[in-house]
Amino acid sequence: MLPTLIRQQFLSHLISARFFAAVIITLLLVVFNTLVLIDEYERRLADYNIQKTVHRQKVEAAETYSTLELFIERPPNPLSLFSTGLEKQLGSTVEIYYSLVPLISNASARYLANPFLNLFLKIDLAFIFQVVLSLLALLFAYDAISGERETGTLRILISQPVSRSSLLVGTYIGAMICLLLPLLLSLLLILILLSTTSSIQLSPDDFLRISGIFLTTIAYVSIFYLIGLLISTISQRTATSAMLCMFSWVVLVILYPTWSQFTMNPVGDTHAEKSSVEREINQIWEEVDREKRRFVANSPLMGKPPWFNLTGKGAVAWGDGRYKVNLELDPQSEELVPHVQEYYKTISALEIRLAKKTALIREQSLERTDIQQSRWDELLMKLSPASLYRFATAAWVGTDLDGMLDFAEATQKYHQALIDYFYQEDAFASRLWFASDKGIVDWSNLPQFHFDRKDVWVNAHRAIPELFVLFVMNLALFSGTVQVFIRMDV
Amino acid sequence: MIWHILKRELFDHINSLRFALTTFIMIALMVTNAIVHLQKYADQIQAYSKNVTVSTNKLKAQTRLYRLVQRGPGELYKRPSALSFIANGGDAFLPKLVIDDDSWTAGDVKSIATVGYPETKQKSKNLRPPGVPLDWVFIITYLFSFIPILFSFDALSGEREHGTLRLCLANPISRSLIVVSKFLGILIALVLPFTFAFLLNITILSTSPWIQFAPADWARLGLVFLIACCYAGIFIAVGLMVSARLERRMSLVVLLLIWVIVVVFMPLTLGTLAVKWSTPIQTVHQFRATKREFINNTRTENSRKWSQMKRNIDRNIAQKDELLPMLRFKMEWVNFDRNIREDLNREYLMAQIKQVQQARFVCRLSPAATVQYTLESMAATGLNRHRQFVENVQLYTKRFRQFIVEIDSTDAESLHLIGIPEGMSNKPITPEQIPIFEDKLTLRDSFNSALVDMLLLVLFAGVSLSGACLFFLRADV
Repeated sequence: MLPTLIRQQFLSHLISARFFAAVIITLLLVVFNTLVLIDEYERRLADYNIQKTVHRQKVEAAETYSTLELFIERPPNPLSLFSTGLEKQLGSTVEIYYSLVPLISNASARYLANPFLNLFLKIDLAFIFQVVLSLLALLFAYDAISGERETGTLRILISQPVSRSSLLVGTYIGAMICLLLPLLLSLLLILILLSTTSSIQLSPDDFLRISGIFLTTIAYVSIFYLIGLLISTISQRTATSAMLCMFSWVVLVILYPTWSQFTMNPVGDTHAEKSSVEREINQIWEEVDREKRRFVANSPLMGKPPWFNLTGKGAVAWGDGRYKVNLELDPQSEELVPHVQEYYKTISALEIRLAKKTALIREQSLERTDIQQSRWDELLMKLSPASLYRFATAAWVGTDLDGMLDFAEATQKYHQALIDYFYQEDAFASRLWFASDKGIVDWSNLPQFHFDRKDVWVNAHRAIPELFVLFVMNLALFSGTVQVFIRMDV
Repeated sequence: MIWHILKRELFDHINSLRFALTTFIMIALMVTNAIVHLQKYADQIQAYSKNVTVSTNKLKAQTRLYRLVQRGPGELYKRPSALSFIANGGDAFLPKLVIDDDSWTAGDVKSIATVGYPETKQKSKNLRPPGVPLDWVFIITYLFSFIPILFSFDALSGEREHGTLRLCLANPISRSLIVVSKFLGILIALVLPFTFAFLLNITILSTSPWIQFAPADWARLGLVFLIACCYAGIFIAVGLMVSARLERRMSLVVLLLIWVIVVVFMPLTLGTLAVKWSTPIQTVHQFRATKREFINNTRTENSRKWSQMKRNIDRNIAQKDELLPMLRFKMEWVNFDRNIREDLNREYLMAQIKQVQQARFVCRLSPAATVQYTLESMAATGLNRHRQFVENVQLYTKRFRQFIVEIDSTDAESLHLIGIPEGMSNKPITPEQIPIFEDKLTLRDSFNSALVDMLLLVLFAGVSLSGACLFFLRADV
């Protein structure tokens, strides 16, 4: 009996005009937006490559160690067209220098296109599924039970030797198969479009991620179908059921996520916290000034860094709390050079130590303010399955907050690698730190930065809580519907 | 007869479940909007007045006329709109001020102040999940299109299925009058809860000491109300149009799909697409490079001439009137440099804005986008407002420079060479005389920039209403 039920449900949906219209619309939206998104990704990739070249040129232009301007760039995520997450919102360029441990908030943006275009909001493929498929699920579900009751066919069905719960299971499976069709077709089209572009090469891991998104989408669509089914079972009339379904949809998918993010702010104002941390850090850095003065007082050096009492010509630039020095010394300053070398060695060792100390404080403060705020937003928004779905897809793709923190961790590792490199080359204590008159720095041994996304299991690990919640919601809704249906008068 | 239908429709709607749900949602959203705006606006306006005071004090501390030319009026801030609860307008992306552009020094020649536009914030350090603000634009564009559909999808199809439509038509009443009365019935049923929520919102806002609505603001609010009604009217008419031809279930599906495309997706994708097809403009990098190249070229060339002149003068001991052509050259140089840089800045800004406007032009295919732009104009936020701010700054700069010329002309000892220290009056100036920038926006400006959009909305509504009448005239009952 169950297969017959499923077949009947499936076929009746399949030949319905609403199914046809919905599939056409979904596919149109998906194809159209995939093309736009691929184009956009290619532009970002081109920007990334330009930036990398510019950064490399900057490194090669540095003649002394202290004038090194080392920037690294976050590569665009090829799967970000599925779920953008924080990918475009956060800056992608990070400057690496020895006296600052980079955190996620140190990333800055470089401007390449017309910034006013940010007035246009961007979408991703997960958003299309989130809006269209959930709406479709509700349109399938709102008259599933109430419609049959109104037309009287429900009585006939119940008179058959079939339990009420298997009746529901049949309805559910039949409709879900039908709902999977537009999703499968869309994914197929997306994959075809992706394979025709040379700029996006999907790895096996990426296919696993896409399957993860697929699985999450099924769980998400099923929630909305079950919500519709529950409403349809409870309501006496189809018209009421339709209204309740539509209103729950607009609240859950459109209104609640915006409302929650706009209204709720459990962390409160973080300005005070931030400025107190800034003061604390400035106090710590004062030690460097004291040490500098002490050093100069106990050595034949006089005056202020970086010139002291040296003579010669050269360029000195100040920025971000450090001097970028490139001198050509006169012969009579030559005897002071060992002292200057000793000076930079001592001071930079201290600076590196303090950078680590302050990084800890900065990191904790960031954790308490911005990251905490983001996590709260996420938690509250997740009360709606639509947001749950968005965060789950972002977690699969790696564009969620954790994915961005991965990149921040990679930049920190690279920062450590740079310091190790400097120590290995004895850069701080070398004449090349501040003077280029006896040869310039050879950067061929400078460690290269490259960022690999975490493998798919890490993504899965992050997406699993959301996926689990989605499944639990499904179960709860289904058993709720069964309970209501069993007790119902037909 | 039309009154009977109208009254019956209205009572039907008011007793319905959807009316209760609509009222609840609208009030919840509007109250939230008001409460959050209260907190945000107080912070904004305080920060603004602090910035303006600092900048004005710096300006008034100047005593020499040349310093006024050299440093310019300083930073000029955009006044935050008291009505930003209506439309946020992407203020997070738009710059809040106008600054002095980068200055240079070549020997004893100094550049003079140029109006520069700071870069728009492209990406923020904001770690919060991306989202849109809950302003009236959000509430109106989504709710005032979704709810009319839910009210109108069964207005004609439902009656036809129940057979009551035949009864109705048996009366001496024209078909288009039935459509119009149904249209009005739904519109009034929608406007009732909206008016209530609207008044509640305004009442909450008026309790704040920071927000005082001027008469012009009330006019703006009234226009916003009319725009919202007009927008809802479009979707009611479209709903009636579809419901005149299709059966009830199908008309719900079709209307929802139309809604998803027109309201949710069109404003999001059309803009991006239009940009893709528009003529590309210089990137910020390229623009900066062009500007730097220009500045450096004129500077090297003119520095050479300048030092040559100085050498010539130094050789034979100069009289004052022999110095004059040399000073004139210097004056022309700095002024030329300023004008060209200002032109470049303005042209680039206009090119950027033009590209966005072209994209917006395409977006207007969706009434949701049109409503967004209209409300932005009414709330004095967003791109149009930014343009007006830039225009205000330009007018003020003109006045500021005029003032310097006037003060200078009163001094007989001055050489009246504006732009160089040797050629200008050395007398101290009274700080009260210096004109101060006031960022004002009249209702007329807002109205002018919104006029096309409003006409477009009325046109949309008219066309869809007559479409609904036409469809119903030709429908089988």
